[in-house]
Amino acid sequence: MKLTTFLIGLVLGALLLVWPISQWQPDGLDSLRSLTVQLDGRKKPLDTVAQETVAKIHGSTTYQSAEGTREDALSTYLAMWFNTRNWNEEPFVLVSYRPLKEAAGLDIERKQFTFQELMANRELAAIVGEAHRKELNEVDLSRNEREALTIEGRLNLLYQSVGDRQLPIVPHPDDRKGKWGSLDETTKLYSPEQAAPLLAAFAMMQQTLLQGGATHIPMVASLAEQLKAGLQQLSPDIYPTDAVMGREVYFNHFHPFAKAWQLYAIAFTVLLVSQWIKRWNIYWTAIGLFTTGIVVQTYGFFLRMQIADRPPVTNMYESVVWVGFGIMAIALLLEVFSQKRFYLLAAAPLSVVCLVLADSLPAVLDPSIAPLVPVLRDNFWLSIHVPTITLSYASFALALGVGHVALFNYLFTPQAKQRIKTLSQLNYRVLQVGVLLLTAGIILGGIWAHFSWGRFWGWDPKETWALIALLCYLAPLHGRLVGWIGDFGIHVASIVSFNAVLMAWYGVNFVLGTGLHSYGFGTGGSELLIASVVGLDLLMVLATAARHYGWFKRSEPLTTVENL
Amino acid sequence: MGSEWQGLCHEGPQRHRFDKLALLPILKGERVQDQPLAIGAAGLEPRRVVPTMWSNSGRKPLAGAKNRLRDDFFAMMLAFLLCRKRMLLMHRENLQLFFVVANTEAIAALVESIYQLLCDGFALLDFAMESKLVRFLGSIRLAVPLLVAIAVILIGATFYESEVGSPTVQREIYKSAWFGALMFLLAVNLGISTLSRFPWKGPRKIGFALTHWGLIVIIAGSAAVIHLSTEGMLLVRTDSAPGSQIRIEGDLLEVVAPDQTRQQTDIFIKPDGAVYPRQFGGLSLLGYSDNAIKTVQFTNDGVVDNLAVKVQLHSDRMGQTLERWLAVAPAAYSQMDIGPAHLELFAASDEAELQQLLRAPSPEQNPMGTLAIRQIAGQSRDRTIDVEPTVGQTLALSPDLALTVVNVWPDFRLGSDGQPTSASDQFRNPAVQLLVTQGDEQERWFVFGKAGLPPVRSNDQIALALTYEPPAATPTDYFRLVAAPDHQIFYAAASSKGFKSGELPPGQSISPGWADFQISLVEQLDHAQVQRQIVPVMPVAAGTMAAEGAPALHVATPDGQDFWLPWGEPTALATANGEYFAAFTPKLLELPFYVKLNEFIVERNEGSESVAMWTSDITLFDPQTDTAAPRSVWMNHPTWFRGWKLAQASWNPGDLQQSTLQLKREPWWVTALTWTGSLLVVLGIVVMFYGPSLVKRWRQWTRSPQTEPEPPMDEGSEEKAVGTIPILAVFGK
Repeated sequence: MKLTTFLIGLVLGALLLVWPISQWQPDGLDSLRSLTVQLDGRKKPLDTVAQETVAKIHGSTTYQSAEGTREDALSTYLAMWFNTRNWNEEPFVLVSYRPLKEAAGLDIERKQFTFQELMANRELAAIVGEAHRKELNEVDLSRNEREALTIEGRLNLLYQSVGDRQLPIVPHPDDRKGKWGSLDETTKLYSPEQAAPLLAAFAMMQQTLLQGGATHIPMVASLAEQLKAGLQQLSPDIYPTDAVMGREVYFNHFHPFAKAWQLYAIAFTVLLVSQWIKRWNIYWTAIGLFTTGIVVQTYGFFLRMQIADRPPVTNMYESVVWVGFGIMAIALLLEVFSQKRFYLLAAAPLSVVCLVLADSLPAVLDPSIAPLVPVLRDNFWLSIHVPTITLSYASFALALGVGHVALFNYLFTPQAKQRIKTLSQLNYRVLQVGVLLLTAGIILGGIWAHFSWGRFWGWDPKETWALIALLCYLAPLHGRLVGWIGDFGIHVASIVSFNAVLMAWYGVNFVLGTGLHSYGFGTGGSELLIASVVGLDLLMVLATAARHYGWFKRSEPLTTVENL
Repeated sequence: MGSEWQGLCHEGPQRHRFDKLALLPILKGERVQDQPLAIGAAGLEPRRVVPTMWSNSGRKPLAGAKNRLRDDFFAMMLAFLLCRKRMLLMHRENLQLFFVVANTEAIAALVESIYQLLCDGFALLDFAMESKLVRFLGSIRLAVPLLVAIAVILIGATFYESEVGSPTVQREIYKSAWFGALMFLLAVNLGISTLSRFPWKGPRKIGFALTHWGLIVIIAGSAAVIHLSTEGMLLVRTDSAPGSQIRIEGDLLEVVAPDQTRQQTDIFIKPDGAVYPRQFGGLSLLGYSDNAIKTVQFTNDGVVDNLAVKVQLHSDRMGQTLERWLAVAPAAYSQMDIGPAHLELFAASDEAELQQLLRAPSPEQNPMGTLAIRQIAGQSRDRTIDVEPTVGQTLALSPDLALTVVNVWPDFRLGSDGQPTSASDQFRNPAVQLLVTQGDEQERWFVFGKAGLPPVRSNDQIALALTYEPPAATPTDYFRLVAAPDHQIFYAAASSKGFKSGELPPGQSISPGWADFQISLVEQLDHAQVQRQIVPVMPVAAGTMAAEGAPALHVATPDGQDFWLPWGEPTALATANGEYFAAFTPKLLELPFYVKLNEFIVERNEGSESVAMWTSDITLFDPQTDTAAPRSVWMNHPTWFRGWKLAQASWNPGDLQQSTLQLKREPWWVTALTWTGSLLVVLGIVVMFYGPSLVKRWRQWTRSPQTEPEPPMDEGSEEKAVGTIPILAVFGK
């Protein structure tokens, strides 16, 4: 029976994966999508270039134009590449930081602005100019100036992408790592006879699109196929195979991480229902759905590792996705042993939040695959140290979730003693996993540091904060042994100590901004938002503590009816 | 046999001490024959006799006396440890201890004394374990506050570090004595708590012991890494000789007092300029400047006629008073720059020259300089154009050759986005950006004003030579002192506020118009002679000081004179009591081998300028063995040579002929300590957390191999426990 319901869950999950069927139907644009571009130090399909460019400028991979039509990244990018719109007046460039909008006199309520508006804005230009001057003199930039530089980057990228004749799509004749040329440079690398048909195909694509805009995109499919075949012919040994580029296009569109969180959310609902309606007995179905989610996410990491040819966690985006994965995986594992439901109930929302954040904030958590900086290259330790340490963050996040479930219980159903007891046992187990992984992660980091920087331990801020996080968990765990804090204290500690993990994970790079670990972790921002969420959460903890210890309870009158 | 050994661990005034007399016969080997002999514990029959590695019969005949001594010592240790009272009480039923001791008199005597010592030590420890203080030191009541305190200190330290930088925090916190003491206390706490839980029985306790011993080992190892390792940087170049001298972080002060005693110390300088130690070798260390320049002092002892003046610059607003010497000869001292302002001294030979020098500056001839054009192939003449009026214009040089002056960058830099930009309006690194067109060919040119910098051009097709002559650098702000033939001093001052000139009598202040600066003549020498001196450079206005100074240390001799010691130059300090020699130098260390950079390879990511990896291809020469080892060093792939680790540290993007290597050496046992500790800790945690349940399962499984282990709790009770969904309980009530 268990097995049957579990299998039902698996099958259901698999069905949800292939749904909607339309995602598998070919639209003939595959050769356009898998057209290879050599950009930012690697070869990638045009589809990725389109997604990255649109996301970087617009802050999202779909664009709703002024006329109200919603377009995907590829058609938006094609409109830029072939310059089929008046990009001067499309409200396309993301400006999200409010103080900057205020300083530049832009409409606070709007998120996207036109190229023209921003280019003509004197205040913005002044801020950018000041930022450049400060950079040259190595003075620290203000937040406004950093944001202004980001806007400048977006404007440059837009300017460069519109009518781009320089896109390197022509393969190098013989060198695998050689610099590719643009279509206009074809004649430098190859004979004019070879170049002519390519230029013709490109010109015809441009003609078609100029005439009909987005509606004519299906018509360029065959031309794109010709163009791609022509390019492949030029240097068949150097040009990457369809399988390689196709894999990346497939990864972009299959979107395994998004599928994973959707599955987790559905499984979470099913688990809730199984609590309510006992007759249905669909607990194992939920487990099956969770399992499918884990499998899809694992598959996603596998694909991404193949595409990028490197370990799974190398930047902030990947670490967030990995933590989302870790929370779910650890919860499922512990759930299989304990079968108390609480792990999954606590884990699913956290994991979904992680994955949704990673999915929806491309401007903050940049999902693009860029070459690694030399320090992280060619490195065995990177592939075990970082995943271990981020898995420990995941288990502490799970402890945070379980802690919350327990505190809700203290707050609303303090009479459910047995359940609260169970919860504290569960929480203790997650904390154990976290302590083990964090210790192992810190030590692995030390071993890496021994190779890379020549010392096991050097009090670098990131190192120090990982240690602080560990101490923040060890102190309450030891305090429990002497009886200084009880079950309630452990739950509070699992929530409060997570702030140290947040600091080690995210804060060190942005709040302190020093140290050797500063590579590869993007720009900061949203400190205030995170601080306020943390603050609210701590208030909740305080309220629960007040209720638990009865701080605000009026002292009971000594004589009551009962004790008379 | 058992009763004979009663005395071994008898209760008595010295409770834990073995009875020496009872043991001596064994030690002397009287009973030790071919057969291993067991020592039983009080009141117990020895149950079994196990030949151990120390047994006489088991010993290999080849083992020398030294090995024997060692073995026997270990045997004694083992026997002793096992015979301790505690052990007997707790493990009475398990006690099966066996050993065989040496049979030579000398060893017996030695072992006896060591044994005696150990006995006393352990007795003391046992006694101590029962004292309140020691109990507290090993208690969890100390551990938790200690952990909290360390966490709080570390949090503070990281925030402090982001304020003051790493070296200060390293020195004031991480490497300080009190932090070391705190760590030591933690180690003591860990150690005593682990010892007091002896014997470590069962997976949980074994895990506990492993983890805590591992932590002690790691703390010891990390402390050793921080305090015992040597680390330095070595800059090597492909075009220079092999290097063997590494630069170690920090500076050194070496002082030779008048009585010829030589002393040397490390100097630590905080970011605010404070120097530690404050006193050394009879000198007081007053301060430090990282921007000091060499200047001169003049005395009136010269034989030739040479004018020198000392001027004072004073600003109330900046609270600064500077004094500077100017002299007609040597020529280097006839003018100087202080920030953006310029001081100069001239001696006029006649009245006409005097008037000429005191005249207001005439407007610049070519404010943006001139461009000289030479066509290599064409017939047309060379020509020179004035840049300013032509900016943005296109000049036709010949029918098919045109030149457009796109922009002028007075202080050319590449911005972070790779675009050219000007860092200031001063013509420090002037460049002209041009667009040269010949037929279909278009080239972008950057022509630089600095001599020796060839133009940067986008292509090499057009035969044309361009040289850019930037405007003559006449400072807009200058203060000129002119000596008339009769040695009377006049001045001419130009600033953005205007020009003025006149007579400068000694003691009178002139405002040249630079902020609120006042300039006055302090001293005038007619037969000046140079004496060298170091003075710190004070920024005249914030941020405008050109960084051309070198570091210097400010010291005072016991008789109250103060001197500036330039970095890297031994200096003699003349005092009333004799001469001190002091050297403020970088800390250097001679390697036992030489490093030669053969090639520095920079790999880039395909199709872009970003760096994928840099590799130093080096050869290491060992002069002692006269061998050479070719090696490659790149990121995360160091190489080891003669106990030193060589790692790629940094590189200079502007000069691919050089590379900086990090060299590091630490005693092998330090590495061994940290690695052992690491292994112990991780293993210990696994055993502690998961050992008990694994053992339990294993027992269940071995008892009933055919049945699956039961889940820890049965479904029924769990259902009851869960009840309503906790999250939704909010709505339930």
